[in-house]
Amino acid sequence: MAEPNIATLNSEQDVDVNEIKAVLDAHRAKMKLSLKVCAHCSLCAESCFLYTNTNDPKYMPSHKFINSIGKLYKKKGNIDRAGLEEIGDIVFNRCVLCTRCYCPFGIDIPNMIALGRQICRSQGIFRQYDVE
Amino acid sequence: MTKELDKPGFSLPPVKKEAGADKITAQNWSKRIKLSILGISPGTITVSTIFHVCLLITPIFVLGHNELLDLSWGFSLFSFSEAITDTMTLIFLVCAAFFLLRRIFLARLRAISSFYDYVVLFLAIMPFLTGFLAYHHLFDYRTVMILHMLFGELMLMAIPFTKLVHMIFFFLNRFVIVNEHTLGKGSRVYA
Repeated sequence: MAEPNIATLNSEQDVDVNEIKAVLDAHRAKMKLSLKVCAHCSLCAESCFLYTNTNDPKYMPSHKFINSIGKLYKKKGNIDRAGLEEIGDIVFNRCVLCTRCYCPFGIDIPNMIALGRQICRSQGIFRQYDVE
Repeated sequence: MTKELDKPGFSLPPVKKEAGADKITAQNWSKRIKLSILGISPGTITVSTIFHVCLLITPIFVLGHNELLDLSWGFSLFSFSEAITDTMTLIFLVCAAFFLLRRIFLARLRAISSFYDYVVLFLAIMPFLTGFLAYHHLFDYRTVMILHMLFGELMLMAIPFTKLVHMIFFFLNRFVIVNEHTLGKGSRVYA
């Protein structure tokens, strides 16, 4: 489940799947290529300071990327609010977009996380900075 | 700033650098290696390099392949001696076993591994394993040889459709993307 500092507006409403699909379609080529090229080698792990401080695989750049944008891509945007809140937790809480992550294959991970944030924000899911 | 971050593909403002900071000098080359992927995980990168060199070179210069080339097209490249190819295949298989064990036993790899990763590793290993068995005449030679050809063809066909596509993109990456692995000057460093 999402952590309490992920705010969600219109929590009664379902997510607008068509809106998500439109964003996904606009960036389809890059997402598809990035997901295909990822060799799941985990060499990006040490480039994330959140990983080096926790040694928790869920902070690996590739793990964050596969479980946010990768998940949306696989489901073709068909996701419910709870699922999108989980993605919001990943892209807002587990990544600070410092853009220092390194991929041997040159995948632009920060770009993908930023795309995930854009999709979450469009559905009223965002980081609440006044809550710890 | 929020507006700009809304668009994926935003670019950060250029960082001012001291003149000559990117130059590789006798003083900073060791620091550069320490900050590169080779310095961060030296074991994996060394094994990976040996793995890829053996993977690319062995099939091109193996005696049997060049013999077939000569028979069908009338030309062939030079070949390594059979002892060298045999050793290189063995080294390749050991490195491949390292990758397999790494994927099975490291928690951080298990977290992102799927069945697909094992299939691709299997596709990369099988042509070498069957070639090795065929050379040593282990098991039924004809069957092993047919398997060798089939797995080789399967692997070549899988290149554009799986993550094996890095065989092609490797050469682009080294020029196009700016980081410590490129042939241009690197700019990204580890935290």
